[in-house]
This record gives sequence, C-alpha cells and structure tokens, in this order.
Amino acid sequence: MDVLLDEEQQMVRDAARAFLEGECTTKLVRQMETDPAGYAPQLWRKAADLGWQGLCLPEQYGGSALPLVYLGLVLQEVGRAIAPLPLLSTVGAALAIADAGSDALRADVLPAVVSGERILTWATSEDAAWASPNRIRTTAVADGDSFVINGTKLFVDNFVAADQCLVACRTGDAADGESGLSLFLVDTNTPGIAERSLVTTAKDQQSEVVFSDVRVPASRLVGTLGDGWPVIERMLDRACALLCTQMLGAARKDAELAIDYAKMREAFGQPIGAFQSVQHMCADMIIWIDGGELLTFEALWRMDEGLPYQVEVSQAKSFCNEKCEASVRNAQIIHGGIGFMMEFDLHLWFRRVSAWTMRLGTTYEHRARIAHALLDEPGTVMLGRAVPVQPETIDANAALAA
Amino acid sequence: MYFAYTPAQEALRREVRAFIREQVTPEVLADRNLLKPIESGELRPSGKNGPRMHALYRAIGERGWLGIAYPKEYGGQGGDRLSQFIVEEEFLRAGVNIGLSGSGAPAILAAGTEEQKRWFIPRLIRREVSFCLGFTEPHAGADLANLRCRATPTGDGYVINGQKIYTTSAHWATHIYLMARTDPTVPKHEGISIFLIPMDTPGITVRPLWTIQNSPLAPHDTTYGEARTNETFFDDVRVPKTALLGEENKGWGVAAAALNLDRVGAWRYLMSIRRDEDIVNWLKEQPRGQGALADNDAVRDRVADLWTEAQVCRLMTMRSMSIVQRGGHFTYEGSAEKVWAPEHGVRTTEAITQILGPYAQLLSTSPHAIEEGVFAHNVMGSFQSGVNHGSVQIMRDQVARRGLGLPSPRRARAAASSASSATPATPAAPAASN
Repeated sequence: MDVLLDEEQQMVRDAARAFLEGECTTKLVRQMETDPAGYAPQLWRKAADLGWQGLCLPEQYGGSALPLVYLGLVLQEVGRAIAPLPLLSTVGAALAIADAGSDALRADVLPAVVSGERILTWATSEDAAWASPNRIRTTAVADGDSFVINGTKLFVDNFVAADQCLVACRTGDAADGESGLSLFLVDTNTPGIAERSLVTTAKDQQSEVVFSDVRVPASRLVGTLGDGWPVIERMLDRACALLCTQMLGAARKDAELAIDYAKMREAFGQPIGAFQSVQHMCADMIIWIDGGELLTFEALWRMDEGLPYQVEVSQAKSFCNEKCEASVRNAQIIHGGIGFMMEFDLHLWFRRVSAWTMRLGTTYEHRARIAHALLDEPGTVMLGRAVPVQPETIDANAALAA
Repeated sequence: MYFAYTPAQEALRREVRAFIREQVTPEVLADRNLLKPIESGELRPSGKNGPRMHALYRAIGERGWLGIAYPKEYGGQGGDRLSQFIVEEEFLRAGVNIGLSGSGAPAILAAGTEEQKRWFIPRLIRREVSFCLGFTEPHAGADLANLRCRATPTGDGYVINGQKIYTTSAHWATHIYLMARTDPTVPKHEGISIFLIPMDTPGITVRPLWTIQNSPLAPHDTTYGEARTNETFFDDVRVPKTALLGEENKGWGVAAAALNLDRVGAWRYLMSIRRDEDIVNWLKEQPRGQGALADNDAVRDRVADLWTEAQVCRLMTMRSMSIVQRGGHFTYEGSAEKVWAPEHGVRTTEAITQILGPYAQLLSTSPHAIEEGVFAHNVMGSFQSGVNHGSVQIMRDQVARRGLGLPSPRRARAAASSASSATPATPAAPAASN
C-alpha cells in the first residue's frame, strides 16, 4: 500500500505540466471556444509526438502499453491547462477498439490514433440524461454486408473534429435492456449523418448527431453482435474515471488561482487570505480535491490490476461532481466580482468543471449504482474490502461484524 | 502507486483474524473496562481490565503483535507501520485496543533520553504503563500555548502547581504526559516543557467529570463512548529533572510533532467509519419490500454518499501511512485527515438519526433500542471528535497556513496596524441594518 506517486509517475506528470504550461495559453483556450473544430491541431500533433494518444494502447500498434494511471496523470494535466484537445474522446474510443475490435479494425485505427492522424469519439447517450442501456433506441439493421443505422444521439463530444465515431445501436429484438446492443465504428463523413452543435457552458464541442439510413460495413462492428453492452459499459466507466482526473486537474488549478488571489487581494487593511473564513474555504477546497484524487486513482489502479472497479468509479465521479463543483464555486466567491468578468480568466476553469460534472454520470446516477452494490447484493460489507462483497470474504466479514 | 496490501500483509491479517476468532471470546471481552461502584453506589467503568484481558494482551505480545513498528531495542518488532495498522485495525474491530495512539510513545521515541526510551517504551508496548494527556486547562483549550500550569525549576528538579482538565483516563493511568510552563517571561510558545510523571506522585488529585454518555452507560461498541473524564490538580508536586521530556522550554515542538502522529492511525480511522458499515449492514438485515428503508431512494442515495465519504477517510489514512512509511513528514496531510474524518463521522451519525427516526434516540437500556442503543449513544458524542486532539477549525487553519501558505491572521493584523498608525485611522464599516 502506497497511495503516493512513485518517481516515474511524478516525472510523467511534471513533464506533461511543463509542456502544457509552455504550449497552452489561456489565449489559445479562448480562441478554441469559437473555433468550428474546437481544438488546436498543432497542439494535438505535439501531443502525439509526446505519445499521449498511444500511452495505453498496445505496443504492436505503436502505443506504450502503460497502465491507465499514467493516462490519468496526463489527463489531469490536460484538465489543469484546460487544453483544447480531443484526447479523452479519442483514447476512450481507441481503448474500446483495442479491447474488442477485430484485428483488422485495430490495425487500421490504432496506429492512426497513435500518430495523431485520427480523432475519435463515441455516441451512446440519446434523449435520456443518464447513460442507461434502456434508453438506447438507435437501430442498426443488417442489410447484406452492411448495417443501416437510424436514430439520434446527443452529447457527442468532439464530433465536429472526429474522423470516426463509435455508435451504440440496438441490433436485437429487445426494445430496451442490456441485450441486443452493438457497437459500430462509423466514419463521421458517411452520407446520412447530420450534426447540430450544442452550445455548452464549457463552450467546447458537443453535438446532436442524427443518423438517417447511414450505411456502415459489417466489418466495423466492435465486439460481438448483440452483446455490445459490456464493451460500451467498460468504455464509459474508463472514460468516466479519466474525466474525473481532468476535472480534478482543472479544479486544483482553479483553487490555486483563488489561493494566490487571496494572498494578494487586500481588504480591511490585510490580505483576504488572512481571514479565517477565507482560509477555511481554501482548506476545504484542497481537502476535497485531494479526496477526489485518491478515489479516482484507486479506481484507475483497480482497472489496471483487473480488479472489480465499478463501485470505485462511481465513488470517484459522484464525489468529484459535488466537490469539484463546490471548489470552483468557492474560487469564484473568493475572487468576488472580478471572477464574473469575461476578460478575467477564472471562468475558463469554472465553466468547464461545471459542465464536466454533468457528463458521464450524475451524482445521483452513480450513487444509485453504489447503493445497489451495497444494499442489494448479499454479504456483510466492510470498508476496505470490495463491494459488492466478494464470495471469499462473505464469511470473514460476517464473523467480524458478529 | 499501489492500492493494496502485500501478500505478507494479507497473510498477517488472516492470522490475526484466526487468533481473534479463537481467543477474543465474549468472556474475555466481558473483562474489559470493568464496572466499579462510585460513592452513590452506581456502577461506572473503572478503566481497569480483568485477568482474562491481561492474559489476552500477554498472548498478543507473545505473537509479536504489539508495537510492531517500534524498534526492537525498545521492545518493538522493528516492523513496518502498515503491518502495525493492520493488526491494530483487526483488534479494534474485535473490541480490543492494542494501539499506542495517545500513549505518548511517539513523543518519547522522538525526544526522550536513552534511559526514558528504555524504561517507558517497552512498558507502554506491554501496556504495563499508560499515560493520560495533561494538556488542556480550563483557560487553554484550542489556544493551548496559553496554559498556566507552572513547573518551577528548583535546582534538582521542578515543583508543579496548576490544574488540567479533560485528563481522560487519569483515574487509572500510571503516568501523566504533562505540558507545563517553565518560563513565564518569554513568548508563550517558548516557555513550555513536557514532563513524564507517575500519577502516584504526592500532590496530584484526580476528580471525575461525567460526560453525557454516562447515564445509562454507553454500549462498549459506541464510537464516542467515554463516560468519564477528569480534572487533575497539581499542588506542590515535586519531580526530578529526569521527568523532563526533551529540552526545557522546547516542549511545544515535542508535543506538536507527537500530536500529529497521534491523529492518524487505526483508532481514528475506525472511529470515523464503523457506523457506515453498521448502518449498511443493519439495513441489509431488515426484511425487504413494503416500504423497507433499504428500498427508499433517499436513504439509498444518502448511504452511498456516506460510503463514498468513508472511502475518503480510508484513503486519507492510507496517505498518511504512505508518508510515514516513506519516512516523510506531514505538511498538512495529517491535519486534512483530522478535518475530513471527524466531520464525516458526525455526518454519518446525524444521517442515521434521520434514517432510523425515533429508534435512533433509544439509549442502551430502552425497550426497542437498536443494536443496544449504539446509534443513540453515538449522537451524544460524535461532535466531540471534531473538538478533541485539535479542533477541526484549528486543523483547517493548519491546512491553510502550512499547506497553502496563507498568512497568519495575527501577523497580518500586526502588519495592518503598523501601516495604519502612519495614516489616519479608517472608521469601522457600519453594520448592515437589514
């Protein structure tokens, strides 16, 4: 047990931070808010030179095959710099293809992702805010060597920048539920696709995507036909934990801006940071962000180790949602009026963290998953042991609680 | 980054559990903290254990499970801090405290003379010697450095006069770990010393203070269950020079370092999270369907929230352990843990009252009490954990100033007043009238 970063991990984090501090100014962040593609191609290419896109992809496709914890450290820095890079959507989809794609698909997609030539995303959500398999209605119907997709997806990240998109579709008879779902890799320029950009508080790129008789070759199926949900769920859980790192990086930078401001800004003849009310707000912000970091990296670590991870992912996201939001709100309050001004940079972090709390699972959604594991599965729970209770510890925990 | 125990540590945990199943029987546990009549004839916990508990401690000691992380030359095992944590956690879960939290041992190890270390530490580990903490005074709580208790040098030793309060366990501890003023002429933090004093030294008087946990008595498993604390008076108490721990007038630093280490560990961790496990397991044991609490969406959301917060308690403890294990020192991490964990314990305790409703007010002797009234007794003491060992407000000050470099209010005020003396005074802002 050692929950601190080791030397190599610190080096990766420090190098990513130094790179982004040099390359990603708030001027660039602001420019990309009105850019039609919403990302900086030059920065994207440099990220590829550093190997970020391929960090966790298999070595045979040019990746570094590092544990997810490393990707978490890099994305934490991307969040810190609020860098306009479609990294999370690209690696999220690429890792699902690495998990479940055919050899031909992997050989086609992954090297192009590693080199930075190809940008990816996924489209799972529809009209429901929550990522429930029950609410996936988009259909893919077999027709010869292809499938024909019809339906509407919402909240698709970076669709305008992406070359390809993983689309979750219903291919079975069931109208809802986890069965009968399949995942297809669709070129974003396929005829029949209509995109409408959403205007988000983050001012990043999210879209509504309408698929009207969109034809995709059967070879673009990722995973088993009709059994796509485990692949989709794993992709979303992994992306969720990685999104937490991004939120935490942004929230910590934002907190640091507020702490620096509190040291400098004077009121009643002293720095406002000398008032205990402000000090305690700052202390809470750091305690919350530290807590979120511990939960998040534990979840990523468990994925790397092949241990059950869903409860841990939900712990991380539900906690980060509430605490990162509270932290960036505190930072706004500490800044007073100036934080509300467009010309002042603080809102760049506030708006993004706030939007990210609403994506890939709300607090209530994730807590429902935790509650299910705690209350609806058999066995006596014990903190520090996996939940749902694993068969080998059921008796031991019960004996202890007796 | 490694979020698991090693196979050796897991094996140790299994070994300890097997030992507990065999040896920590209800008869042995009945020997804990025996009741004794007070003047009125009512029974009160004495703090003393019976012979079965003493035998248990000897058996645990023979296994090499006491003082695992303490050096071998002082009666420890020279092992790692995490193994010690694991063993302490398992025994605490079974209702037996084998830890050295609040024992004075970390401070003696850090600042004691060779003779003090050789005498005290093995005896503390074997539980032949125990300390009560003589820090707080009626006028010096959070502002501890304001203490008045005097230790006047006499040439060959010191003579001590003053009063301490909340000296929990003073009625059975063999020694007191006393903080007293040795030099009243210097700034308050610079004239304080620490003394290790046998409680049977002439001139020491202990008077009970009963807490609101006292009537009816809290069940053993209560997290915040002290029924009694004390006031301790010092009237011309003469101690030799060898009673001094560390250098004269350097006591503040000695105490601060030890307090920081005392704030983290299995005891603090379990205190904060035991009720989370209890409420989940209790909810699971009740019949489901037809308005069961475990099926109530609000209850489910709250329980998941508390469970997540409890994980943060666990991980913050593991962070502190990781720092200690690497031989590092806390910047603010111990203080952060001491904010998060006690406040979490309070949130859980209070949430449980709203989950169980009127059942959660039923104390140990009441009909219909749930789990011997443990939830009700907890309500009466949980807030206390945000006060003792450094209040959460003081801890937040430490996070802000040591961790984040925010300025001390005192220094900022001094700077402001020296600046304003050069310019006309600004009138105070009028109070808002609404």
